[in-house]
Amino acid sequence: MTAMVRAEGVTKRFGPVEVLKGIDLTVAPGEVACLLGPSGSGKSTFLRCVNHLERIDGGQLSVDGELVGYRRQGDRLYELKAREVAVRRRDIGMVFQRFNLFPHLTALGNVTEAPVRVLRTPRAQAREEALRLLDRVGLADRAHHYPSQLSGGQQQRVAIARAMAMRPKLMLFDEPTSALDPELVGEVLDVMKGLAADGMTMVVVTHEMGFAREVADQVAFLDDGVVVEVGPPDEVLGRPRHERTRAFLDKVL
Amino acid sequence: MTTTDTPAVRVVPVRHYGRWLTALVVAGLAALFLRALLTSPNLEPGTVAHYLFQDYVLDGVLTTLWLTLLAMVLGTAGGILLAVLRLSDNPVLRGVSWTFIWVFRGTPLLVQIIFFGFLGALFPRITLSVPFTGTVLFDRPTSVVVTGTVAAVLALSLNEMAYAAEVIRGGILAVDGGQTEAAAALGMSPTLTLRRVVLPQAMRVIIPPMGNETITMLKSTALVSIIAGRDLMTAVQSVYQNNYKVIPLLVVAAIWYLALVSLLSAGQWLVERRFGRGFARGGVR
Ligand SMILES: Nc1ncnc2c1ncn2[C@@H]1O[C@H](COP(=O)(O)OP(=O)(O)OP(=O)(O)O)[C@@H](O)[C@H]1O
Ligand SMILES: [Mg+2]
Repeated sequence: MTAMVRAEGVTKRFGPVEVLKGIDLTVAPGEVACLLGPSGSGKSTFLRCVNHLERIDGGQLSVDGELVGYRRQGDRLYELKAREVAVRRRDIGMVFQRFNLFPHLTALGNVTEAPVRVLRTPRAQAREEALRLLDRVGLADRAHHYPSQLSGGQQQRVAIARAMAMRPKLMLFDEPTSALDPELVGEVLDVMKGLAADGMTMVVVTHEMGFAREVADQVAFLDDGVVVEVGPPDEVLGRPRHERTRAFLDKVL
Repeated sequence: MTTTDTPAVRVVPVRHYGRWLTALVVAGLAALFLRALLTSPNLEPGTVAHYLFQDYVLDGVLTTLWLTLLAMVLGTAGGILLAVLRLSDNPVLRGVSWTFIWVFRGTPLLVQIIFFGFLGALFPRITLSVPFTGTVLFDRPTSVVVTGTVAAVLALSLNEMAYAAEVIRGGILAVDGGQTEAAAALGMSPTLTLRRVVLPQAMRVIIPPMGNETITMLKSTALVSIIAGRDLMTAVQSVYQNNYKVIPLLVVAAIWYLALVSLLSAGQWLVERRFGRGFARGGVR
């Protein structure tokens, strides 16, 4: 079976600073992988590489068997044009720490925009599916609200519905609950647990250890641009083998 | 002592004594000014009323209005293009845009108007032909193609493009980078992102200065009198040069300009309301 995400020796530098120093990670279809690690360890950067918001400098990165950002023809790699990259991104949903909803569109508009404009789904059908998704994240009654009229937790749930509307085969979450008040974290995690239960493949950067323990199939601990330790949550979180993992867990738990 | 056991407290809003005082002073000054105006021997309200609706004045009003609107529409369209070029990754396109803006902002509008008005002196004929075949598709004297009116529209709109480009570029840069990323993550192409996500949000920042641009344009149309004429200001000037009733006729012009500006401001208000949707302040839901 092809891996949904396969990273082999992925490196990335910003100017003189090497931020990713050879990341190896494999995520099978239907799996939930949680990335942990201290601030600046490269978690966001790696996640952004997966849908080519950042270009990698070395190694190989593929999603569902297709190289990210390149097309292979014979023994050559051709860099994809912006338009081709956009086509590949349709299958990868992303949820951001700061929601990034479109403020000039209602919740419903946010969810229907990409299906209508990118996939050319008929408007009525897109609307119907959007309402179903909003209902699923518990926001059926907020469809006609603008993002500025929603709480942080509600905005993040709209953002998840917006990503799901493209029917992605992979969802990326970058600290989806870090910008939320503590009492709003639960409602977003519940939606994510629902997605995981439905078999969605997910890569989640998070500091929510409870979520990682409960939902993750594998947990990867990143530090200083490398994967220090990877394995099932009860091993990595319960019996960490590396000193750096232990030190980090001591601090966050 | 806590407030819970205090009986029925009356809330007294802040009293704005200052507002009453300013209102009084302003009303007094306005009355004095109005009296001075009405008793002036040169204002001649009758003359103003007589000229206000003369055919040539109304023609001037119409000319000024359509020149302004046409120049602003072309200027805005070109401005968007120039702004996008200036923000593009392609260094050649960036350079082209930068040079255009440099030239058209760097030289006086009056010079540009005269230049286009006398384009025929520089390039006597305009010729379009297929290279290497000798087939001529188009060949006319410049003065026939670029008439006074065409030259006026050309000068005003090209000049406006340069200014609009900078206003629009500022608006685009004001949109949060997270918006472009969110659009990209949804598989939207760069053009689609610009059209559906970035520009609609940039509009909020772009509209007020573009309102200014439009009002400036309204008055700049007076400059085309040298090559084309018949705008409001020119019409009024030609009358007072004959009858020397300078003040009343300038009042006629001022009244019309004010009316046009009010009309445009109302339009701006509507557009602002439209693009303010979803933003907490200054918009209907
Ligand atoms: N666009 C950029 N230009 C230069 N340096 C960058 C850029 N983006 C990230 N970095 C640097 O790369 C390193 C890794 O950043 P990254 O955002 O991936 O960390 P992170 O693990 O997500 O941290 P956090 O938990 O704080 O979000 C940091 O040192 C950061 O300063
Ligand atoms: Mg991060």
